[in-house]
Amino acid sequence: MTPRPRPLPLLAMLAALVLSACAPSASPDQSPASLAPAFPLTLTDTAGRTVTIPAEPRRIVSLAPSNTEIVCALDACDRLVGVTDFDDYPSQVTDIPRVVIAAQVDLEKVVAAEPDLVLAAGNELTPSSVIDGLAELGLPVLVLYPSTLEEVYEEIHLVGAAIGARAAAETVVAAMLERADAVARAVAGAPAPRVFYEVGVFAGTIYTAGEDSFLASLVAAAGGEPITGDPLSTSISLEQLIAADPELILLGDAAYDPSITPASVALRPGWHVMSAVHDGSIRIMLDDLVITRPGPRIIDGLEALARAIHPDRFDPI
Amino acid sequence: MRAESVVTPTTGIRPLVLGPSLTRAGVVLGFGTVLALVVMGVAVTAGSVGIDLGDTAGILGRRLLGLPIPVTWPASSETIIVDLRLPRVLTAMLVGGGLAIAGTVFQGLLRNPLADPYIIGTAAGASLGATLGIVAPLLVPALAVGAGTAWLGIGVVQLLAFAGGLGTVLLVYAIARGGGRVPVVTLLLTGYAVSAVLAAGVALLMFFSGRVLGAIFGWLMGSLAGASWSQLAFAAPLVGIGFVLLLVRWRRLNVLLLGDAQAAHLGVDVEREKLILTALASLTTSAAVAISGTIGFVGLVVPHVLRLATGPDHRLLLPASALYGAALLTLADLGARLAGGIPVGIVTALLGAPFFLWLLRRSRSVRAGLS
Repeated sequence: MTPRPRPLPLLAMLAALVLSACAPSASPDQSPASLAPAFPLTLTDTAGRTVTIPAEPRRIVSLAPSNTEIVCALDACDRLVGVTDFDDYPSQVTDIPRVVIAAQVDLEKVVAAEPDLVLAAGNELTPSSVIDGLAELGLPVLVLYPSTLEEVYEEIHLVGAAIGARAAAETVVAAMLERADAVARAVAGAPAPRVFYEVGVFAGTIYTAGEDSFLASLVAAAGGEPITGDPLSTSISLEQLIAADPELILLGDAAYDPSITPASVALRPGWHVMSAVHDGSIRIMLDDLVITRPGPRIIDGLEALARAIHPDRFDPI
Repeated sequence: MRAESVVTPTTGIRPLVLGPSLTRAGVVLGFGTVLALVVMGVAVTAGSVGIDLGDTAGILGRRLLGLPIPVTWPASSETIIVDLRLPRVLTAMLVGGGLAIAGTVFQGLLRNPLADPYIIGTAAGASLGATLGIVAPLLVPALAVGAGTAWLGIGVVQLLAFAGGLGTVLLVYAIARGGGRVPVVTLLLTGYAVSAVLAAGVALLMFFSGRVLGAIFGWLMGSLAGASWSQLAFAAPLVGIGFVLLLVRWRRLNVLLLGDAQAAHLGVDVEREKLILTALASLTTSAAVAISGTIGFVGLVVPHVLRLATGPDHRLLLPASALYGAALLTLADLGARLAGGIPVGIVTALLGAPFFLWLLRRSRSVRAGLS
């Protein structure tokens, strides 16, 4: 995951938005009749775009699995009319028509689903040409791309506001905060080991958490000191990795490729000099999916990371 | 394509004063027009979402001809036909036609059967421009999505691709020029060398492109997925101007086929003509590439096939290239859409190259008119 430099005013706007979203008096869920109508509603999304939603969305298209999970966590799964072929959670979303196949957004299928809200992913996960194209067709497109845990909470509030489910967003975020606090308490005071999270190795190039990336911030929140790669390419050279000397290696790619094991990693040329390798501190992260999917289950990922980094601080499952 | 149905053996340059016979010109252009229109109709009718044929006709009649047809279709169908398919099909026709004309001109001008619209640097320059445009938002947040990046109705990627394509050709031309002359071989080799440098730049940017690697890759393979009315409005006048100005120079192009010395003897200002033709063909190519990426084979294959059918006379070859190029790319893009949205450049290469090979084996004189 690459970081996005972003202007500070946007954060301020977002913060203001979140604060207003948190104000209970504005919540249509609590007293829908007596207050001013919540829609039409104008929001600023994570890309800094101003989006006007004319009425409470009944037909939502999600262009990323993390967006789908947010909508479903807000009890609005039945309003989804289009998802991606990567969507697998919660299980009922696999029955929803797929409008993104092999990472290609099929614009015709999106339009045919007649959405009144499209939830896109930022940072080119949804290509910007597609976002511009959908907006040009007059569809409200909300772009979401959190780069920290705090921004995941903000995005859940944002989606809650956008679909008229602010109270549900409050509840979901409160539960997430409680679990994140528990993790923070559990790892507090423990020395933070240098952690190398392996995203993948392709053609000899090693990919890990980019500098200032979401993954790096998550490793830090789980009580580790992340070893990071180039912020744009998210790669790190073997020389840099050896110089950084990881004390713990977490194999995210092993969740998808059973041939990647602690033993196979120890046999890679040059890797034997790392502290993690001769201490045997190499772990397979079967939870890679929830660690890299910035939705409500990100806390599952945080807990999995914290357990892998500080096993002594948690009860065995 | 059934263009081969009118193939007649061509033995070389025919007298310049004689154009193609009126009947043959009529057959080639008439069939080309019908083919392009039929392909256009099919391409607007078919897509990943099934829309009733009657509804499609009704939508087109209502929106394009203003006929008072009662609306019996959902609004989404109208959006799909009018705002997604129609601009995409027209873009395919414009790009296909533009590339085929430019290919015809470069093959004639450079007297090289391997020439295509990209040969002297357009593709490499446009690719570097587009790649810069795609990577820039990673480095400069002000250019990120939705932050007001559209000028003249098109995005920074299209603008940089257009400028990169045209600018590179001018650069290549300036480097290749020596003593007031631009020898064809020097032009080709300069184009090759400059392209290599720019391609290295593209590769470097790709390595650091992270999440946008897919976008760059799609652009390099050529895709019409981003087609829109605003992009079409940008490119159509440029391609149109290039086409008309190239078309009126058909006679000079014919003379240049004889070689620089012969053409000069016949009273053509060879160097001036070369510069004008190169600039016009590059303008057409750059405008087409800016809205589609580097789509291969259309600009190489279509002129060759038509030269077999019509002979080397550019009076017929240029308009025929436009028609058949438009039909071919529209058909290829329909295939790309129905195959799950793969880049159309894959389809043109996958189908175009084997078709070309078959033609090459059928005819021993594919270079007729060029050598």
